[in-house]
Amino acid sequence: MSDDPRFKPLKEQDGFAIIPDRWKIDYFASAGELSRFFLELKDNAKIMGTRCPSCGSLYCWPRSWCHECYVDCEWVEMSPRGEVVVFSRIEINLNDLQQMQPPFIQGSVLLEGARYPIVSFFRDVAFDDMHKGLPVKAVFLPAEERTGRIRDFYFVPE
Amino acid sequence: MSRVAVVGVGNTPFKARHIDKTFQRLAYESVKSALQDAGAARDDVDSVVYAIYNDFFERCAMPDLHIHYLLGLARKPALRVTTGGATGGYAMRAAYAEVASGLHDVVMVVGVEKVADVANVMEMIKSITYAADPFFEASLGASPAGSYGGAILWHMENYGTTEEDMARVVVKNKGNARNNPDAHSPMDITVADVLASPMVIYPLKILDHCLNSEGAATVILANEEAAGRFAGKPVWMTGVGASNESGRQAERDDVGDSLFPAVKASADRAYAMAGVSDPAGSIDLAEVYDSFSGVEICLYEEFGFCGRGEGARFLADGRASAGGSNPVNPSGGLIGGEHAIGATGVYQVVEVVRQIRGEAGARQVAGARRGLAQSMGGARGAYSVSIVLEG
Repeated sequence: MSDDPRFKPLKEQDGFAIIPDRWKIDYFASAGELSRFFLELKDNAKIMGTRCPSCGSLYCWPRSWCHECYVDCEWVEMSPRGEVVVFSRIEINLNDLQQMQPPFIQGSVLLEGARYPIVSFFRDVAFDDMHKGLPVKAVFLPAEERTGRIRDFYFVPE
Repeated sequence: MSRVAVVGVGNTPFKARHIDKTFQRLAYESVKSALQDAGAARDDVDSVVYAIYNDFFERCAMPDLHIHYLLGLARKPALRVTTGGATGGYAMRAAYAEVASGLHDVVMVVGVEKVADVANVMEMIKSITYAADPFFEASLGASPAGSYGGAILWHMENYGTTEEDMARVVVKNKGNARNNPDAHSPMDITVADVLASPMVIYPLKILDHCLNSEGAATVILANEEAAGRFAGKPVWMTGVGASNESGRQAERDDVGDSLFPAVKASADRAYAMAGVSDPAGSIDLAEVYDSFSGVEICLYEEFGFCGRGEGARFLADGRASAGGSNPVNPSGGLIGGEHAIGATGVYQVVEVVRQIRGEAGARQVAGARRGLAQSMGGARGAYSVSIVLEG
């Protein structure tokens, strides 16, 4: 409690009252119809996508219905392989949600057969060796480190 | 549909911190200056649209509610718009619709943001991170701002745009801000200064980034009949275009070589509505969303001021500079002028109106008759609003 700003006394700065405060909201968020993606990721180190039975589009991140055909999609296991689309190098700590220490490379990967790229991180590659079209594959954290979030995997060159 | 006129504009100065004012007070001061500008009283206002981006900044999930009655407008309708960096633009569009439809005669748009109450920059960026897809992308801790870096690298790789080219945007916009007494960050700097500033997200250095400002801006709109009641010559909103894209960082359908397809779609809509067929020849100035220096170079192309891949040349030739063929961000833009996020799209309209009225002081664009205001938000411009204003 003692380090919680919500209960600390105000500070005075240049004659103005500065009120310490914090928004802290905890969640248990239901992943609903998307649940299988997160369960398979955590339990089986698989990236799941969805396919539209009407137009055949393969979606990852998965969407449970096709936004064009307005029909429900079917679950499909994605290939862990793909190619780099865009990338940039993060040089500073942006916030305490960030898992990797800068500098690190963040960007997007088009998994085999997918309609859209996904966002992830790259490791074991020099920035100067990164280019559009570079073949990469997903590497998963060991089971005991996976938490069922997309940061459970990253990409390395094939 | 009625024509829609801007009959009053106002704003506070913009700076890093207004330690002496709450967000309500900033809103009030900009409203008071806009009412004075219009020669209007608060009772003339029938309805308000509030442009306030992020609940985390104001520590309040309904900040508009805690402004409205303090403006003496209780029992009049009000609506809050929040669409990231396009908050101000979309608020202008909502107010336009209220007037054009005949729902109300006089509608006020109030944009305000107080970003520096958040304890530090990392907490501020984290609050923006929560704009990402909550199921998939937010857990990366990656700000939607990072999505711009990839687009800019693409422009560099495909068109040969350089870090020096981008630094020229910073030199121009910080320099333009010297002519704007309300600007947050006027600076007399060189390309070398920009290149020497610390790297944040390659290729973007700290000076390539937009500001985080506190301040407020207000615009008062009226239909053609009501416009005659107010002081001064009206400036008309002749084109209003908006467009959204996927909210995810990397998901974009292939739409050819447009890096910001929502921007192009919004500009095309606004141009079609205003009858603009030759943007380079007929837009006298533009206040655009230079969230990062390289983005402004891309935007010249999306707006049709030059061809694909010609943005850096357009800038180097001085065409975007004060005195050029299409001055861009004579106010200083988001890099030199201000970026009080919810207020930005409103302040852009304030600035274009002042230019068209010939009231822009040292930053006046000679003979300005038609201007463009454009704001965008979300991952790589997932929201975009373009507005054409004419005298």
